[in-house]
This record gives sequence, structure tokens and C-alpha cells, in this order.
Amino acid sequence: MESQVPAGELLIKAAQDEGTYIPRFCWHERMSPVGMCRMCLVEIETPRGPMMVTACTNPVSDGMVVDTESEEVKKAQEAILEFLLANHPLDCPVCDKGGECPLQDQALAYGPGESRFVEIKRSYEKPIRISDLVLLDRERCILCALCTRFSEEISGDPLIEFLDRGNATEVNTFPDLPFSSYFSGNTVQICPVGALTAKPYRFRARPWDLQKVESSSLQDTAHPRIEIHASQNEVLRYTGVDNDATNQGWLSDKARFGFEYLRSDQRLTSPLVRRDGELVEVSWQEAINIAASRLDLIKEEDGGEALAVIGGAQGTNEDAFAISKFARVALGSNNVDARLDDALASHFLSASVDRATIADIDNAGTLVVWAPDLKEEHPTLYLRVRRAAQELGATLVVIHPRATGLDDRATLKLTYRPGGGYQLLDELAHGDHPEVTHAMAADKVVALVGIASHADGDQLAESVAALVRQKATHAKLLPLNSRANTYGALDMGLAPDLLPGRVGLDSIGCANLAAFWGDIPTAIGRDTRQILEGLDSGEVRSLVLVGADPITDLPDPSIAVDALDAAEYVIAIDLFLNDSNRNADVIFPASGFSEKEGTVTNVEGRVQKVNQIRPAPGQARTDWAILDDIATRMGVSLGLASAETITKEIAAVSPAYEHLTWDTLEWDHRDGIVVPIQGAQAINHIPVALAGTKAPKAQLTLHVARVMYDNGVRLQHSPSSHKLGPGAVVHLNPGDAPTIGAQDGHTVKVVTNHGEGEFTCVLDEGTPAGVVYVPFNQQGAASLGPDPVVRVTAVHS
Amino acid sequence: MIDHPDDSHTISRYESTGGYTQSKRALGLTRDELVEEIKTSGLLGRGGAAFPAGLKWSFLAPARPAYVIVNADESEPGTFKDRQLLERDPHQMIEGIIITSIANEVHHAFVYVRGEYPKPARRVQAAVDEAYAKGYLGNGIFGSDYELEVTVHLGGGAYICGEETALINSLEGKRGEPRLKPPYFPAAKGLYMMPTIVNNVETVSNLPHILAMGAGEFSGLTGNADTGTFMMSLSGHVSRPGNYELPHGITWRALIYEIGGGIPDGKELKAWIPGGASAPWFVPEKHLDLEITKDATAAAGSMLGSGAVIVMDEDTCMVKAAERVVRFFAHESCGQCTPCREGTTWLEMILRRIEEGQGRAVDLDLLIDVSDGISIGLAWPPKMTTICPLGPSAVSPIMALKDYFRDEVDSHVTNGGCPFHAHSEEGFVPPLEGGPVERSETEGGRPPEVAV
Amino acid sequence: MSHWSEDTQERARQIIARYPEKRSAVMPLLYLAMAEEGYLTGDGMEEVARWCEITPAQVLSVASFYTMYKRERTGQYLVSCCTSITCMLLGADDVLHAVEDESGVPHGETDDEGLLSVEHVECIGACGAAPAVQVNYELIEGVSPEKARELVQWLKSARPDVVNSDEMQELFGARRSFDWGISEEHGAIGPYPAFQPLGTVGSEVAD
Ligand SMILES: Cc1cc2nc3c(=O)[nH]c(=O)nc-3n(C[C@H](O)[C@H](O)[C@H](O)COP(=O)(O)O)c2cc1C
Ligand code: SF4
Ligand code: FES
Repeated sequence: MESQVPAGELLIKAAQDEGTYIPRFCWHERMSPVGMCRMCLVEIETPRGPMMVTACTNPVSDGMVVDTESEEVKKAQEAILEFLLANHPLDCPVCDKGGECPLQDQALAYGPGESRFVEIKRSYEKPIRISDLVLLDRERCILCALCTRFSEEISGDPLIEFLDRGNATEVNTFPDLPFSSYFSGNTVQICPVGALTAKPYRFRARPWDLQKVESSSLQDTAHPRIEIHASQNEVLRYTGVDNDATNQGWLSDKARFGFEYLRSDQRLTSPLVRRDGELVEVSWQEAINIAASRLDLIKEEDGGEALAVIGGAQGTNEDAFAISKFARVALGSNNVDARLDDALASHFLSASVDRATIADIDNAGTLVVWAPDLKEEHPTLYLRVRRAAQELGATLVVIHPRATGLDDRATLKLTYRPGGGYQLLDELAHGDHPEVTHAMAADKVVALVGIASHADGDQLAESVAALVRQKATHAKLLPLNSRANTYGALDMGLAPDLLPGRVGLDSIGCANLAAFWGDIPTAIGRDTRQILEGLDSGEVRSLVLVGADPITDLPDPSIAVDALDAAEYVIAIDLFLNDSNRNADVIFPASGFSEKEGTVTNVEGRVQKVNQIRPAPGQARTDWAILDDIATRMGVSLGLASAETITKEIAAVSPAYEHLTWDTLEWDHRDGIVVPIQGAQAINHIPVALAGTKAPKAQLTLHVARVMYDNGVRLQHSPSSHKLGPGAVVHLNPGDAPTIGAQDGHTVKVVTNHGEGEFTCVLDEGTPAGVVYVPFNQQGAASLGPDPVVRVTAVHS
Repeated sequence: MIDHPDDSHTISRYESTGGYTQSKRALGLTRDELVEEIKTSGLLGRGGAAFPAGLKWSFLAPARPAYVIVNADESEPGTFKDRQLLERDPHQMIEGIIITSIANEVHHAFVYVRGEYPKPARRVQAAVDEAYAKGYLGNGIFGSDYELEVTVHLGGGAYICGEETALINSLEGKRGEPRLKPPYFPAAKGLYMMPTIVNNVETVSNLPHILAMGAGEFSGLTGNADTGTFMMSLSGHVSRPGNYELPHGITWRALIYEIGGGIPDGKELKAWIPGGASAPWFVPEKHLDLEITKDATAAAGSMLGSGAVIVMDEDTCMVKAAERVVRFFAHESCGQCTPCREGTTWLEMILRRIEEGQGRAVDLDLLIDVSDGISIGLAWPPKMTTICPLGPSAVSPIMALKDYFRDEVDSHVTNGGCPFHAHSEEGFVPPLEGGPVERSETEGGRPPEVAV
Repeated sequence: MSHWSEDTQERARQIIARYPEKRSAVMPLLYLAMAEEGYLTGDGMEEVARWCEITPAQVLSVASFYTMYKRERTGQYLVSCCTSITCMLLGADDVLHAVEDESGVPHGETDDEGLLSVEHVECIGACGAAPAVQVNYELIEGVSPEKARELVQWLKSARPDVVNSDEMQELFGARRSFDWGISEEHGAIGPYPAFQPLGTVGSEVAD
């Protein structure tokens, strides 16, 4: 068979693309070859006769003649398999990998059929725990170096390594230093045998019993592609799907293992209504009636401005669309927001004309990251940026108040005092830090901007964008926000100033929409903060929360606490009781991820399909269906018949989503489609003027930032992941410790003008002198608010 | 190269015999002139692969900085010539380093000494210190503006670090695992992925002599393609073991019987390993009158390798000798390649079983077939089915058993033990590592009882 | 936040300066860590990790690849008997056995007192005068089983602070692979090689 393949491509890949499978264990398309297992030996013709080479390490060249099935090749394959099985425990019946094991499969296809190894096998202690999530059975390991390479090359935390050598070689961690990587689950997925297994899945199923469906994770803003595996209506695991567009096969552990909440027995399963101060179960009929009549009453009395809806950033676009329509058409209110007071301007997030795609990161000459620590909040983007800097030659500029996960790959790093962001921006605008401004002025600049520190407020990122645009004419921007479907929600008009399809709430937008929705209020509504303030002051009387928990999520929770205390009537649609809905008047049980179908839109505007694999528990229903019922009872028909009809309506009302159908997403574009900004009435963002605020003069400044594992409700109900957060800790520079009188591990008291509490002190070089770093929303930790002024004192016990 | 007064390791003695004049002269020569001179001399690398030194230098890629590494990891069983050169003549090597560095436009050289050689390392370090003190190393050597730093690096105990790419990884602070080929030479991408020349101690030590006597005279020292003299480490059952500096081309008979003084106690010669533990074995019936040259040895299916000749007399148990050589490779395998990691240990286990009287009739065939799995086709030189040649080297002793000593293996099996060593002898038997005995049975063999 | 003495830290800095990249100093620093504590501890490896800016797991991965970094408590004297092919041909197994028997320490182990560790090793480049033994990597060539027993006795009773190759060769060795030339004063004080880089030639000088 003769083939044309791109020159320089590895033989193993070229053959595979041409339909010839060369067996392999250690090769992985996303990592550099190590040529260790020797399973992929093939014979090539050379002027000096046939030569055996590994297909995974040799590129094809012009006129190359390759034999993948010669006698010698077969001999080699049989030998390798006999060698690999010699010391393998053959405990397949009790191995999680049994049934989906490359070693089993290749032993069958290429193996000798029997083993002549009669000596003593290598033996190790059966599975050892190498982290809270991962177990390692070294007897099963075939030393393919996939896990060690992943940790070193891809995730950048080489905590799992080869130890010893020769026949005694094993994979392991440093004693007492666990494999506490945010990405450890990937090693479990790519392990070709059952050597690495993950706690949430171990011994729970046999692969042949699993039902599978593809979807996209909503625990990462890039919406990594996943496969959901379930058995008997229980979701048992997610695996990463390799696609070029987003995650390239990888998942953060949060996205991978954070599914256990779905099967929690704390899930809400029937509607609840407050009677005599107690929540009691009622029928759907009754709950809908109660909620609808109360909303109707307030609308009658004070109009739509007295009603508001917060939420929608964690669900599907269809749910978000329904919320938007419900608010505007049924409630007659533009008081609707998917952001929780910690997000950038809606039009900046969803409608910047120069928005970058994730793939643009690969081609960037310079990457500027002035944003939250990507490793903590945007793990897929973190891996992509890391790879671009490490493998693809991009210059990486990282600007952040403290150490970030990307620092070891950064070409340039600027660290600034929290609250000093504008000052630094000013300096950059005036040509200080010439290496940075020079790098920014290069070709092909991609800037990832977001809220690096709340101390600077949420507009700094827009000013940063303005600066980047000024320095590099063709720069592209990726504005970041942390909740996974915020972009989809904004595209659906879940903002006080946006209509579905990234359309501004102006006369043209309203007029166009009127053809579908009838008349809607035209005045710009309240955003989350204004809604909460309105509740507090009484101007807003009732709030509908859809999958939102402002008390937990707001940078300054006190606003939310006061608002929910003052609210006259609160209706919640959610999976669980949480701090914000615990005192609601009516609560509807909602179906969650994997329990419903629909579409979602990620950080780059890529729309993908999410799918259902299990029924929702009890009587839980989708957000859109609940809202449709309430509206109907209020006498307004929203016409929301099914998720798919909603998708059709989205396509009809919003030009950007014009051609999107489920068929397209399921068949032609499984990796999704980036919806165009231009076609969607682009809003050209007007740069925010460079403000001249000065950095705080205080001796200590507070930096509060989200970390991967927090005390969010889904993680709370995912036992394997719940304990992984750092807890109530405060990071200080070792140099500041003596002044405070605290040492590593001591308890200290942290006081701000929003709150105070006791924290365990961690001394950490990554936190600059004068900075007090506290991970946001941790179990047992007091909330400190966004202000940078802070006092830390030793607690003497 | 190896005549030594007592204080041969000092700079004063070295200089009194004309030392450091050639390195100083080299400063005045161009890269092309120096590379050409060494090419003309025909000097072959003495680390084992016998690659022409001048040719290797000419491959050096243009990127800079480039590095020079002297391979002083000498660990091939039977080899102890570099130890003598390091301990007794370190300045000769340092002068060679200076020449190599100038020829290759290098300003930082490393000497990688095996960890078990602290004394040679001390001698080299002391000599390096002397050379720095004299201004022969450091900033502006010999009063020129040429800078040359030399770092002496001590290994950590790993034979595989003699393989040049493993050595480079080791020097980078990594596991001593050989790198993938291509690139075939570190001269393209070596230390820190920069162009690097790796040469053996003996290769480098030859350089001052080549410059002194001229390439022509050097290449004329022997009448054949292998130019210059060659150090052979003779050991085992010979009356006069030791290092001998010889011209290529004498016969094995002359080496073993005349130079080595023959086999002690009037015993017969049974076999010898001609070029370090990696080399296929020779037997007197077939090989005694062959010439000791690279080509003649290759034609007979072996190699001169590191120049180590290990002689075995008639009372040597070939199974045990094979076991010891195979054990070495199993112990030293880096563990990357499946066949080397798993296969060599398997061979070792089978050999030990046979030696201890637990051999089965099928075991010799099994040994041969496992060898075939490690070194596909059992060709010599081996097909490179592993990343480096260590794995395939381990099968050389099995080939000797197969070709010459089948009956000895058989008698172990039928005797239920070693005909040379009484069964109860207080021999040293390292325990096998591992857990419970594997229970599978192979057809035709009796159930194994593996001794621990 | 180094646990090492100021002297050792200074050495570490000097060693790192001898290499173009920090990580290259891992191997010499591992010896330094051994010299600090007598063997390679977890703390020692973490310290090396900090100096070289890699993870402790990476340091362990390197350290465990090589045979000379002892990660278990090792005696003041490490007796290494070569049992590779040439030494075996000339009776090395008996020498090892004599050492094990006389010391009461099986190979691979250390006595309770922490005085002697015994190991068998692969070829140590002394084939010309096999069998050979090293004490703390200081070489003795041409050792008979009887002399091996005397060596063990001597280590146990004389307990030299510094072991020196030339002295032990005189006392317990026989033939040499080659003429050693003038003798050396330097010797080893622990189960790691008596070589210290950077021009302060090796080691501890016997008085
Ligand atoms: C397994 C193995 C071990 C080796 N050991 C050594 C060694 O100890 N010393 C050495 O100089 N070369 C050794 N070599 C050869 C080196 O890879 C390399 O060819 C040599 O250092 C080049 O120097 P030369 O050209 O001067 O011989 C070894 C090669 C292999 C495959
Ligand atoms: S052949 Fe053996 S020593 Fe060589 S690279 Fe492969 S495993 Fe390592
Ligand atoms: S797949 Fe090529 S060597 Fe493992």
C-alpha cells in the first residue's frame, strides 16, 4: 500500500491515519516519544538491508518502505508481550481496567498465547495510595512512562517518577509527598493497565456494563469534551475526549471527579414550600401555583422592576434562554444577571470583536496572562498556555499579585501589590518595564485578561485589554470569567443590558426581538449587585434564584446576606439547599448535568452539545420546564416545549446562533462551533480610560483568590474531592512572619473591614512580602471581603 | 603511553617529558587543521565503538556553546585501563582535553569519572588544579585569550552512564538513561541539547602523542587499518594479567600465551571474552590464531570493544560464567526498554536455576529464544531493537553456550547441578528478588522449584 | 531555609557554580547530603531539590537510579566485594563469604552498631588483580578470603577514622593491576567516595 503523508510525521501516526494500526504502549500523540516499550517495532528498508526501528520515534521520509508484519516484527511483538506479561500479576478479574485494557487487547492480537516464565514474579505491596484520589498498583505497571511524562511535560508538576532502575524500576512518589496534582486523573485515564486507579471509580463497574455518552464539562470554562460513563442510571466516571479544539484529551481533577454530587442523597427531589417557617414537600401543582400567584401579585402591585432573577451560569443555554425569556416576558423585568458581582462587563465578556479562540493560543507569538491563576481557575487554558510556552515557542508574560502555576514557564513575570494594578498599568502605558511592553508589541499577541485581584475592582481587566490593543494592533483577547457557562448565559441575554444573541438592549434589539417575544421592557435592568441592593432597600421585592448561591460566591457576601434577609419573597430552583436558598419560600428541585440535554457556550464562544445519560432524581425537572410552568400559571405562554425547540428559537432570534442545530452539533461538529461575533451585531468595546489609582499604602495588603477546590455546593457533595481544598489558610511571606510573630502552621487572626477569622499560617516564598493571600470560599474559613486593607495578628493558645 | 615513573601524575614530571607543549601548539592551529590531523591519524575511539575520532569531531554542529566530555566511566567488566591512565597520567588526558576543546571551539569540558573511582578522580582533580594554577586552564590559557573550564564530575554507580547519551543525561542531573537515536551523535545535540563531543579517556590521551609524532607516524605504528597503539586489559586465568599497550595485529595466542604468560597451573584454555563483557566469546579451537584487529575480530563475529580480555581455563563452569556476565547486564540495565529490563533478568534467573541443579531440558532452548526476543535475529552486530546496545550485549554468553557449550548445560540438567562446583559448596548465591513462587507449568518441563 | 551547615551551603553554592545549569549539580549535592548525615535521608533529598530547583520526587528518581546513594542507614565502613566475572573466576564468591562470615553481616545489610555494611558489587575496575574489595570506595586489590577476614577484624578493632587505599593494600592486598606509584595520604571517612570537587582535592587527609 502506498501512501501520501505529511513529511516529518511519525511513522506510527502516519500509519494510523492510513488505517494501519501499529501496536504500542508508550506512545501518546500528545507527548514526546520515549520509545521504551519497543512494541511498535517495524522493519524499514535501508541501503544496508532491512532495519528494525520503533515506529513511534522515527519520522516518515520520502520513498520509505515499511513492513509492519514481517516475521521479525511478529517475533518482536510476541517477545515484548511475553516480557511484559512475565512479571504482570494477571489479576484481570479484579482489575478495573479489565475489558478496556490495551495490554489484554494487544496480548490477544499480537501475543504468543502462552507464557514460559516460570520464575518468581516481581511483587510489590498491592495498591498504595499516592494521593487522596489515586491508587497505584506497581505490579500491574508496564513502565510506559505515560504518567511520569504527563506530569512533567503536560501538567508541569513532576511528583510521580520512575524510581530505581532496571528490573527494579517502579513508578512512585516521594515518601510523604503525595501525587497532589490538579491533573492526576489524566494519568489514571491514560495508564494502559490498571496500575493507576481512581478512588471514585474503583470496583464500581465492569467496562462492558457501562453506558456512554459524549458531553462537555461544565466545571471548566473551556468546556472540555468528556465522555460520561454510567451504569444503572448512576454516573460512574468522566473521561476526557481528545479534541484539538479544547482540552486535547485532558481534564482537571475537579472536572473529572466532580460528578459525585449527582448521586448525593442530599439532592432535592420534590418541590418545597415554607409553611410556618418549615419547608414542607408539596406537589408540583401546588408549588407552581403558590410561586406564580405571588410573582403575579408583586408584578401587579409594583411592576416588573420589583422582580429579579439571578443565575443561569451553571446550566445549559436553553435554561439560560428560558430564564431570560421568563424574566423579560413573564415578569416584565430586565433585572436579570448570570454574573455574581465578580465578573467583567457583559459586552466585554461576550462580544469583544477581537476575542481569541483557544486554538489561537497555540499560534501566539506573545501570550499575556493578566488574570486569575489559570491553574486554579481555568485549568484547560492553563494546560494550553503552558504547552504554548514550553513546546510551541511563545513568549509568555505573566502579571499577577503572587506566584502562579505558570511562573516556571513564564518568559517575563511581573508581580504587583494587590490594589496596585492600575499603577502598574500606568507604568506599562508609559513605557516602564520595557521588556514587557516590547513583548506586548510583538506580532500575534494573545492576552488572557480577567480579575487577578478583587482589590483592583472588576474594570482593570478592560483597561488591560485597552492597553494591549494599543500596543499590538492585531492582538486578540480572551476575557475570563469563572463560572462555566457564563458566556452561554450572556449570549442568551442573561444580563440587564443584553438580549439573546449578544444584542444590546437598545431600540433595534428590542424591536427585532419583539417579533418573537412581543414587547419587553426597554430600560436597562439591575445587575446582581444592584438587585441585591434593591432587595435590601425594598425596591426589589422578590428574587428568583436559578442555580445560584450569591452568599457563598460573592466576593463580599454581606451584601447577599442582607439582601436575602430583607427579601420579601424568594423562589429557588436548585439541586441542593445552599446558604442562599435555605430560607427561600418556594424551592423547586432541578435536574443537573448529565440529566438533561442542551447546548453550552464556552470561553471562546464555542457552542457544544451536552447530553443526558440518566434521569433526574425524584421529581426534579429542568429549569426551563419549571419556568415555563410558572409563566403559564401567571397567564403568559413562553412556548418552551422541549430543549430542542428552545435551541431552534435561539437560532431564530439570535443571528450569531443562526445555523446551530442539534443535528449539526451531534454529527458534523461534535467539537462544537465557535459562533461568530460579527454576525451578532458586534458591540465594539470602548476602552476604559487608564485610571490613576495608587496602590494601597498599608503595610499588609490582602489578596483573595479562587482555588480549584472550594466549598461550593457541588464539591461539598462530592466526597472524593471535598477534602482537597486547602481549608482556612493564610499565606504569608516568610519575611513577614517575624513581624507578625507567627510561624508555619500557627493559627493567626486575619481582620478586614468586612470580616475576620482564624486561619492557619502557611509561609510561602510565592507570596511576596507585604501580601496576605487567602484562598477564597474554604471550608471553615471566614469571608474577608474584597478590600485590600488587612491586619494579621498571632493567636497565642 | 603507560610507562610510569613514581610521580608520573604530577605536572612537573609531565612537563619534564615534554608535556603541554602540544596543547600550547594547538592554540596556533585552526579547527580545520586539527580535525584534519586527527582524521589523518586514523585514531579510533577507545571507548568501545571504535568510531574514528576525527570524523566525529567533524560532525560537530555549528551551534554554540559546545561542550567536550571525557568519558571516564569505565565500567565494562574486565576493563581497567582508563583507571591507570587517570591515576598515573592525568596530565596527558588534560592536555588531550585542551587539544580537543581547541579543535572544537569549546570552552567548558567535563570529565565524567565513575563514582567507584574516587582515587582516579582525586588525581584528575589535583592535576586540573595544577593546570589551573599554571594558567593552562581557566581564563586565557597559555597567555592567550582562550578560556577553558574543566569540571570533574563523579558518577553515582551506574555502568550505563558509560553510554554517551546516558552520560549526558546523568551530567544534566537526570537518570542515566540513554537517549533516543537519532540523533546518532551528541555532536548534533548533546549536553543541554547543544553540540557535544564525547571521547574516551584513552582516545583523548592519545592526542598529545599524535600531535607530537605527526599523524603519519602514528598511523604507521601498525601495518593495518587500526592505527596507533591500543590498551588491552588482560585478566582472568592468565599468569600475567595487567594492562598492555600493544600495536594492533598480534594474535590472540601471542597475547594470552606470550604476553600473558599462559594459563596458570598448566591448565588448558577453555574460552575468552575478547573485548569486554559485551563481546561474543571466543574459543581456542576456532579463534586462537586470529589477529587482534577490529576487522578480523568483527569477521569472526565479535569485537575488540573496550579492549578487555577475560580468560577462562578448563575448570571454569560456563553456566556460572554466563550467569555472572548476564547478571551484570541485568543489574546495569537502565530499565527503559522492555526486552532489556525484563529479558536480561529472566535469562539470569534461568541460568541460576540451571547452575543450582533446577534446570530443565527445555531451558537451553528457552534461553536462546528469550535471547532472540532481546536481540531479534541474534545477529552480530545486533539489530538495534533496543535504545542502546546494552540489552543485546547480554545475550553474548548465551550464544557461547549455544555454539560451544551445549553439553555443559545438558550435564547441569542431567546431573541436577554443577559438575564443577559441588552442590553444597559455600558459594555465594544472591537471592532472587520477588514474592511468591509462580505456579504455572510449562509443558515438557517439570514444575520448577526455585531456590531462594 | 537550609538545614545544612554554613560550610556545606557554601560548598553547595560553589558546586552549582561549576555547572552551566543548576540541575547538573544534583549528583555532587547528593554526596554532600550523604556526608552531612551519613546517608541519604528524605530531608537531604528535599534540601537538594531546593538547591537544584526540582521536585523531591525528581531528586529521588535520580538518587535511586545510582547504586552509590545509600538511602538506608549505612555503616561507617561500607565493604564492597566485587563478584563480577573476573573476580568470580578468581574466587570472589569465597571472599564475599569470608567477609559476611567474619563480620556477621549478610550482604546488603548493616550491623546493629552501624559500623559495617557489606555489599557485593559489579566490576570495580580491578580485574588485573582480582579479587578486589573496596572499603568506602578505597580499593584493595588481590584479596584472599583469609586477608578479607583480617580486614574485617581490623576495621572492627582499629576503627580507623580515615580509610586509606594504600595502607589497606599494604595490609590486606596482594598483587596490583598496575604499579600504583607514590602512595597517597587521602582517604575516606564515610560510606561515600572521598572526592570533593573544586580543587580541594578530595577528602580527608590522614594525620
Ligand atoms: C552500554 C555502553 C557502555 C559504555 N561504556 C563506556 C565506558 O565506560 N567508557 C567509554 O569511554 N565508553 C563507553 N561506551 C561507549 C560510549 O558510548 C562512546 O561511544 C564513547 O565514550 C565514545 O568515545 P570514543 O569515540 O573516544 O570511544 C559505552 C557504550 C555503551 C553502549
Ligand atoms: S537497552 Fe537496556 S540499558 Fe539500553 S536503553 Fe534499553 S533498557 Fe536501557
Ligand atoms: S510505542 Fe514505540 S516504543 Fe513504545
